[in-house]
Amino acid sequence: MSDDPNKVWPTGLTLKEAEEVHSYLIDGTRVFGVIALIAHLLVAVSTPWLG
Amino acid sequence: MFEYRKFALNKLAGIGTRFLPFADVASDDVPLSRLLRLSLFQVTVGMALVLMVGTLNRVMIVELNVPATLVAGMLALPLVFAPLRAIIGHRSDNFVSALGWRRVPFIYKGTMLQFGGFAIMPFALLVLSGFGEAIDAPRWIGLTSAALAFLLVGAGVHTVQTVGLALATDLVPERDHPKVVGLMYVMLLLGMIVSAFAYGALLENYSPGRLIQVIQGSAVVTVVLNGFALWKQEARNRMRAMAPPKQIAFGEAWQKLTESRGMITLLAVIALGTAGFGMADVLLEPFGGQVLGMTVAETTRLTVVLAGGSLLGFGYASGWLAQGARPMDVASIGALIGIPAFGLIIFSAIHVSTLLLMVATFGTGLGAGLFSHGTLTATMRAAPRAQIGLALGAWGAVQTTSAGVAIAMGGVIRDMIAQDMSGGTFGGVLGPAAAYVPVFGLQAALLALALLVALPLRKIVLGKRETETGLDRKIDLSI
Repeated sequence: MSDDPNKVWPTGLTLKEAEEVHSYLIDGTRVFGVIALIAHLLVAVSTPWLG
Repeated sequence: MFEYRKFALNKLAGIGTRFLPFADVASDDVPLSRLLRLSLFQVTVGMALVLMVGTLNRVMIVELNVPATLVAGMLALPLVFAPLRAIIGHRSDNFVSALGWRRVPFIYKGTMLQFGGFAIMPFALLVLSGFGEAIDAPRWIGLTSAALAFLLVGAGVHTVQTVGLALATDLVPERDHPKVVGLMYVMLLLGMIVSAFAYGALLENYSPGRLIQVIQGSAVVTVVLNGFALWKQEARNRMRAMAPPKQIAFGEAWQKLTESRGMITLLAVIALGTAGFGMADVLLEPFGGQVLGMTVAETTRLTVVLAGGSLLGFGYASGWLAQGARPMDVASIGALIGIPAFGLIIFSAIHVSTLLLMVATFGTGLGAGLFSHGTLTATMRAAPRAQIGLALGAWGAVQTTSAGVAIAMGGVIRDMIAQDMSGGTFGGVLGPAAAYVPVFGLQAALLALALLVALPLRKIVLGKRETETGLDRKIDLSI
């Protein structure tokens, strides 16, 4: 397996595999971001904190 | 200096995969501890169900003063997504991934949706109820955000449960399927019972702050438990990653699934039986209170007895199926126990006997346990290896939809007759029981119908056992 030139250090995943894992991370960040935004808006509606 | 760097490199490369969430090998036997860990996703599903249908139902009506019809509408929203389970299952069957994964990405996304829904839900509910300054806010903000929260949680639950069950089916050989089904049901029930008590205790002294803590706490618990459940469970399939299977359209896959092996009949049996057992779920406690004059503590015990009966049913079903009983036989026995049990409930109203009602409730629980276990095992076994996700999605879609529709129908029938009764046309010897008796009667009738539909199926299931292994092998080769 170690002779595969596409393997990237240090996980031993190929480039494509690493990119897929990364895409899940990006997805998660986006979802968390949008959720946090909505949650903040809703809190601001019920208990405004900016004047 | 240079030596040290090389040493560190080697060390890091060695431990690398230990911190990645895949199983390296697909071993033939999966130890029970690993299945137990996987079944934790059912605990989060049970938690979400109890929180939405039980706890929030009450909190929204009593503490937040949201109109009951609006609450019912919000809680019914996730049901809209139930038929999509089949599509989710199908997509996970045919998912193209460089990692050779099929199930993990879906469970991950489902968990995200569930988390997101829980994260905004308390604020959405507070805005909906006009808490604080929200009383001046436009109405649509509260409505849409609450709807969004419930939809997100619902979509998450559907995805996690469908794909999680498919993963469990993938992991174990066919002879162990009954064990897995039993485990999954027990964990679902356990999650529901434990979280019902936990939510009850946590929300005893209600305050808006406490509501936020409890719901967002559920969000965190969901992510933690699902992550723990999923860790290193699904093996990476290099063959699948190198040569992704030919993409099959949903319609085509559905046709392939339904054209053989009495799949449609099986789904019809599941729909009828689930409706038959589930219709009185929310009516049992008011029935005990209103007709037999039981106290709140006693009617709560009724629910405990029901759960105990189901647990025993799951246990018996697992045992019998492991000894080689046929799934449809076990399901039929469950329905056969259910019919006289519902008769006994009606009888208990006539005799005003709490003991009879307890026995009958236990019987319906036992029957429901046997029936659900048998039909889910049958679904798992009837599905070709390449279509497990789709088959379990169809099972979930039919089961969830029919349970939801049945519960709503039971309530509507009860209310309609109760209203009629106050007009004086009904009633007679039965008194307040007259509103409930037709529902229980309808349940017994639905179960009888399910048995009738299941009859020809037993022959098909019997006949296909020899051909199944051959068919499975053919499909596996084509991947």
